[in-house]
Amino acid sequence: MKNSFDEKILEEANDWIKTNQKVVLATVIQTWGSSPRQVGSRMIVNEKGDFSGSVSGGCVESAVVRECIGIIKDNKPFKKIEFKVSNESAWEVGLACGGEIAVYLEQLN
Amino acid sequence: MKINTLKEIIKKKENKNEFAIVTNLNTGDSEIYETGKKLSKDLEKYSDQIKDFYNSKKNGIIEDTEIFIETYVRPIKVIVVGAVHIAQYLVDFAKSLNFEISIIDPRGYFASAERFPDLNIINKWPDEAFKEIETNSNTALIALTHDPKIDDPALQHALNKKFYYIGALGSKKTHTNRCERLKEAGFNEEQINSIHGPIGIKLGGKSAPEIALSIIAQLVSVTYRK
Repeated sequence: MKNSFDEKILEEANDWIKTNQKVVLATVIQTWGSSPRQVGSRMIVNEKGDFSGSVSGGCVESAVVRECIGIIKDNKPFKKIEFKVSNESAWEVGLACGGEIAVYLEQLN
Repeated sequence: MKINTLKEIIKKKENKNEFAIVTNLNTGDSEIYETGKKLSKDLEKYSDQIKDFYNSKKNGIIEDTEIFIETYVRPIKVIVVGAVHIAQYLVDFAKSLNFEISIIDPRGYFASAERFPDLNIINKWPDEAFKEIETNSNTALIALTHDPKIDDPALQHALNKKFYYIGALGSKKTHTNRCERLKEAGFNEEQINSIHGPIGIKLGGKSAPEIALSIIAQLVSVTYRK
């Protein structure tokens, strides 16, 4: 049986909007291999870079925050980004677990 | 996503509806799909695939398209019998796991709103209380009073309605006696063995939050097995 095990990210997004924050919703739309979070996992990011929720196990969240701030600045409605296996360089953003994920960013407006 | 769509989704979640959010990744447009609802022109041609995802409660992109679907299911109903100390911790765990808890306890001092704020507490005997709650094979029962007068009628109701998870607190001896009573009441061995008793997975702890954790862990594991 599927439980919704819902993290209430959309409700939180609505609370942020009520306080006049600009909010980007990031959703995991596709995964390949072993990725830390399943399809449908979400995080929200505001124009200051505050975020809540997750799309990985902490591996790519900082890059997602940067991308989200970018689309608010450029006033882009949406963007799709992909993250692949991280390579050897220690500080490169990527998934240490060897998986790949596609994340869809969309402004709530 | 439009804020209006977001608000509509939140409302549907509050009302515990089953629905799906369908997003065209090429345009950024999202709409809500539910049984019997007509899809917009843009998405009409994918209606068979959308229904497939919706019926199998899957999330994902329809193959060879840019259409993403996320399905929302109703939270699982968990009936707790006994507004005891362990129940207070169960409620906390259940909240983050999105189980929908109702508590039954005929004892007024236990079933007080102060002890369980923002919760459906039914201050009645189980037979009466179950008239107010719709239950089925997707419902779970956690019996915590280890008082036969209160637990037994609830266990019998759960067995008759084929709840997918039934757990009862109490020592091995308490549970043996309980099984004996259920046998006398006419329940067969298979039914009686389906009860998780003593309740919970073995973690080793004896405190109220630890027992609550062991119960909720068992409940989650059984939920995924179903």
